[in-house]
Amino acid sequence: MTRPCDMMVVAMARLIGDGDTVFHGVSSHMPMIATLLAKRTHAPNAVHLNIPGGVDPVKPALREYTSAGGELWESACAKLPLMEVFDLSMRGGLDVAFLSGVQFDALGHVNASVIGDYRKPKVRLPGGAGSAVLIPTARRAIIWRTKHDKRTFTGKVDFVTARGNVSDVVTPLCVFTMHEGELILKSVHPNSSIEEVAANTGFPIRYFSIEQTPPPTQEELRALREIDPMDYRSIEFR
Amino acid sequence: MNKLCTLAEAISLVHDGDCVGLGGNTLNRAPMAAVFELIRQGRKNLRVVKTAGAMDVDALCLGGCADVVDAGFISYESQYGLAQRYRVSVQKGLVRANEHACYTVISALRAASYGIPFMPVRGLKVSDLRQVNDYFADVTDPFTGETLAAVQAIRPDFAIVHAQTADANGNACFEGPPYEDVLLSRAAKKVIVTAERIVGDGWFSAGEQKADIPHFMTAAVVHAPRGASPCACYGYYEPNDSLIRAFLALDGEAALHDFIRGRGEP
Repeated sequence: MTRPCDMMVVAMARLIGDGDTVFHGVSSHMPMIATLLAKRTHAPNAVHLNIPGGVDPVKPALREYTSAGGELWESACAKLPLMEVFDLSMRGGLDVAFLSGVQFDALGHVNASVIGDYRKPKVRLPGGAGSAVLIPTARRAIIWRTKHDKRTFTGKVDFVTARGNVSDVVTPLCVFTMHEGELILKSVHPNSSIEEVAANTGFPIRYFSIEQTPPPTQEELRALREIDPMDYRSIEFR
Repeated sequence: MNKLCTLAEAISLVHDGDCVGLGGNTLNRAPMAAVFELIRQGRKNLRVVKTAGAMDVDALCLGGCADVVDAGFISYESQYGLAQRYRVSVQKGLVRANEHACYTVISALRAASYGIPFMPVRGLKVSDLRQVNDYFADVTDPFTGETLAAVQAIRPDFAIVHAQTADANGNACFEGPPYEDVLLSRAAKKVIVTAERIVGDGWFSAGEQKADIPHFMTAAVVHAPRGASPCACYGYYEPNDSLIRAFLALDGEAALHDFIRGRGEP
């Protein structure tokens, strides 16, 4: 049976095009591994950008505690530190930014800031990191979230950290895609169903046709084990 | 000019109420020895600036040192969960969270380093952050009339950074990921450097490796081996898992002071 973390990482990797410039930040083991997977499989010319500033690290020995550490620097071919990755996005040169959050609505609003009032929050969240500037400026902002329930995919977010060029949303159940300003269902993962997605989503599910997300291939799974032998891609499911 | 001093002497330069920018990123090369010394000396009402912070900001919140935190992201990464001391302090109203996008911290520091009052930034087009925070405003391009977001400059009183190598005059260089430390050193009024190793006068002049922070910007240099621990320092050590877990389990400010005393590290 396909593990949700493997399905999600593979689905994220497949959204990366050959030649895309791709950025992920902190707390981002899944998109980091997805980027390395894409480069190993269908997108060898994708450009891996990250917070330490190591461009295209080769076979980095991943660490559990960070997706922004020296391992992404030491085998890189060039340096482009975080501030310059942001600059790249601001001038229209970043193709893909991977970001997350805790609440999302059908219009692609992302909340990574607070539950409740901003100044007197019920829950202070970590914050959107680069979201407020990257989601509007990257060509495609790809969201991943390992929780899929009605509190996460909600009718209305408590706070709008960002809105912009969200293109796809990858969850343990499905992939949503943005169509004319609205999130629609693109594919349902093999272990889930449209009923399960609908029952766990706080906004109405719309779609043109329902496809099953193609399960990970043997080649993708083999590459994943090589890239991530310690299985950090499951870190958000532990 | 010899600026080498003890950690206690260097940190005593910082006053209550100062704005302090911290180098590194999450658990990477955070200036933890300096942070623990701020706590040990009981510094209060600090405004803390960082793009993405973790244990450093969490500790300053637990230690009751911080009033305001300007940052894009405050959390441990996946392995160690949320920065609970920061989170609780904000929720209790003890600490004001000024949420930025990481880039708006960078832009605010750039503005300070350029000697200008604000910086226009792209993005933030649809964001409640722009509405609820007084350090964001709209600005009009005088040439085209386009409306952009602007972020107010942040000029920290001190940049506190942990470098791998420094000399006694205050020249300092970073190895591996640079994060925003160099920018921070330009934006701040004064720089405090802690370093894994102190090299002799002339080391930078004689070798290929030149300093990232020139001596004249530096107010104090401290020889602090393992000065980023329990966080990581590129080329020197990985994070100390057991110390991080011990920190996360601390119950209150007194326990934090015991933890700092008992670390057995400078």
